[in-house]
Amino acid sequence: MAESENGSIGLPDLGDSIDALTFEQILEMDDDEEEREFSKSIVYGFFEQADKTFKEMDSALEKNDLATLSALGHFLKGSSATLGLTKVKDSCEKIQHFGARKDENGNPTHYDDRKFLSLIRDTVKVVKADYKEVERVLKQFYRDPDAH
Amino acid sequence: MGDLKARLKPLFRRSSTFSSPKSPKAPKNSVFEAPTDEAPADDRSWSKTSLRLKNKKPSFAIPVYEEEEAPAQLHPLTPIETESLGRGELEQSPDTSLEAPRSPPPPPLEKENPTLIVEAPTPQSRGAEHKKIWVKRPGSSATQVIINEEDLVDDVRDMILKKYANSLGRSFDPPDVTLRIIYRHPSGRHSQTERTLGPEESVSKLLELHYPGGQSVEEALVIDVPQRRTPKHSPHLAMPYFLHDDLRPRENGTDYFPPMPLQGPHSPHLPSNLSVSSAQGVSHHPAAHSIGVLTTGQIPNLPSPGARMARHSQHRPKYGRQHTSSPTVIQGAGNAQNHENLKSSNPQPLPTPPIPEEMTPHKAATPPLPRVSSPGPRPKPPVNKRSKKAVEQSSAVPGSIRDGAVPPINVLIVEDNIINLRLLEAFMKRLKVRWSTAMNGKDAVTKWREGGFHLVLMDIQLPVMNGLDATKEIRRLERVNSIGVFSNSASSTPTFANGDGVGVDRVPEIEDSLMNTALFKSPVIIVALTASSLQSDRHEALAAGCNDFLTKPVNFEWLTRKVMEWGCMQALIDFDGWRKWKDFSQTKPAEKAAGTNNSGKSPKAAMNGKVQAGGGKKEKERMTLSLAKENKASSEDTGTGTDTNGDSGSGNEVGRA
Repeated sequence: MAESENGSIGLPDLGDSIDALTFEQILEMDDDEEEREFSKSIVYGFFEQADKTFKEMDSALEKNDLATLSALGHFLKGSSATLGLTKVKDSCEKIQHFGARKDENGNPTHYDDRKFLSLIRDTVKVVKADYKEVERVLKQFYRDPDAH
Repeated sequence: MGDLKARLKPLFRRSSTFSSPKSPKAPKNSVFEAPTDEAPADDRSWSKTSLRLKNKKPSFAIPVYEEEEAPAQLHPLTPIETESLGRGELEQSPDTSLEAPRSPPPPPLEKENPTLIVEAPTPQSRGAEHKKIWVKRPGSSATQVIINEEDLVDDVRDMILKKYANSLGRSFDPPDVTLRIIYRHPSGRHSQTERTLGPEESVSKLLELHYPGGQSVEEALVIDVPQRRTPKHSPHLAMPYFLHDDLRPRENGTDYFPPMPLQGPHSPHLPSNLSVSSAQGVSHHPAAHSIGVLTTGQIPNLPSPGARMARHSQHRPKYGRQHTSSPTVIQGAGNAQNHENLKSSNPQPLPTPPIPEEMTPHKAATPPLPRVSSPGPRPKPPVNKRSKKAVEQSSAVPGSIRDGAVPPINVLIVEDNIINLRLLEAFMKRLKVRWSTAMNGKDAVTKWREGGFHLVLMDIQLPVMNGLDATKEIRRLERVNSIGVFSNSASSTPTFANGDGVGVDRVPEIEDSLMNTALFKSPVIIVALTASSLQSDRHEALAAGCNDFLTKPVNFEWLTRKVMEWGCMQALIDFDGWRKWKDFSQTKPAEKAAGTNNSGKSPKAAMNGKVQAGGGKKEKERMTLSLAKENKASSEDTGTGTDTNGDSGSGNEVGRA
């Protein structure tokens, strides 16, 4: 990547699930490159938010509550987009669409609700896996002892 | 070579005040010769219309318009007056004086520089005796560039921009680049001496002199570029640089990318240019244009995407900018029309009165520039990246658009996601503007009703009340309260989805009336934050009464631009309002002064004054808001209420005292 060639930022390769430009924008807000206080608080805030949202998604799935699932998908989409967590964002967007009884691209479709719910169930699995991955990368980046 | 441009520019400016094709080769000619010169900096000169055909480096390519269109880039909104630019008068604009070095009459200095000749072969083609030297950016690893035996530092700069095509080449011209040599010290003395190289020095000789026995990697010449951050592309429309097959401004300029800013990196305007300080000329446009907004009252005329979309089709013919004698007039127009522009809340310039000829070159360049420096694709300030401290420092550098000139505005951030909210808050902190937050649409309306906001960043999908509804509600309240200097101007009021907007001068219901109309100088600017890049969503946002939009994830540079643009406008309006208020209050005894006097004399009287003034104020609001309505003021208020504001109150107090 051109970025590394000119030494733009000392970022490790964050993998393709994180959009470097977007994430760097947050890193640039850090006053101290060692501490990275601000970005870390944002990222860890996101971890908490994601965990909570996943739980809420699970319970909404149990209740077959499509509207809530859509809202939750939208909610997490917003913050994951802000962090540049592309894959998570994409999955969340799908959940948002499915919950709104649309196909994954946001076009209205005529599945029955059970189909939507099963689509969401699958997507939630995907998004959790995607999330695990970025969480690991990010924790490594912040030298979190929990990083595995 | 770029250095030469800098030197020549003053010459050109002077000559340009006379009749146009003065030099043997008018710039227009040089346009057609341009392709023979493949130096990167020249590739990027935007007005070389034919250049793109030969341009082999897509990364340098910017949209270049057909010749008759090129002038339009000077200003997107002045279609008529610009056509002549494409002809001999091209050189009249300082912007286009980039062309200057191509025309042959060079001062003696340039004669010794082979690359100054337009037909000069590219360095690579020059043959066998080339060698490699090490260069590096501060804190980065070194890299080699190929030079020829007789190459000057100036040539090396060209090569460097080719080498760093992405990080430097897109946003800097060769004259921006400076090279430092770090002296080799036999004794390991502590202080390392170094020197900035002049463009005219011979590289080979320098290296032989300072690094006998050859240059090692550690001795790489250090590349410095001015510290400057320019907004980058909004993510969803990142490709305008490559739209070769469709060069019409309209397409290139869709939404965020009107034609003009695209020339940004290549404009001579480089306010924080550190390196060329020796070369007179580049600094010919001082950073004044950012301030220009304040001094001239002219808002840079590039419409923001939202507004632009709506207006575009009617007002900007694709082709046929014709028949004008003056290429510019923009700023002049601004001066003359400024008030009208503001009043109609329509930043589009009206037909422009002619302005004195000699003012032309200057004026032409200035208005677009503040925004021109924008969409370099992620330019990387080299030093900054290494140390965040440096970032802080550099962002404190005055003259930088972002930091120096952010207007003193108050922003309301409406965002339900705490993560996004915190980031936006951090952005605001960085921009040093005041802000408040709201987590849902209802909150937002409540906060807005407190008054004093200039700009609202409105997330669209919000709980309780979504952003569109909140926007509609704010617009409705603005309308029923007759907020703003242009409250009656149809052009400024968006169409309302609800039926309420019909009666413009309607008296507001009590629950709709705003508590302190003095805090509502003008309709607030609402910038929608849309998660999707769907056009339909944007139209919806605009229809609801948003002025503009940003795509999420919000990009800091774009946000900065929006805050700048809208903030400047709002600050101006506010100033206007302030002045009016001041004039008004000067004609009458100042209420406040009286109040202070009283408080000094007798607490009781002061109390009374306060109460009465308060009553008067309320009353005034009611008066203005519900002029024809039944006066529902309570009996004790009526006395003061019939007089204007607190004047009667202070009058009473004075009498009593």
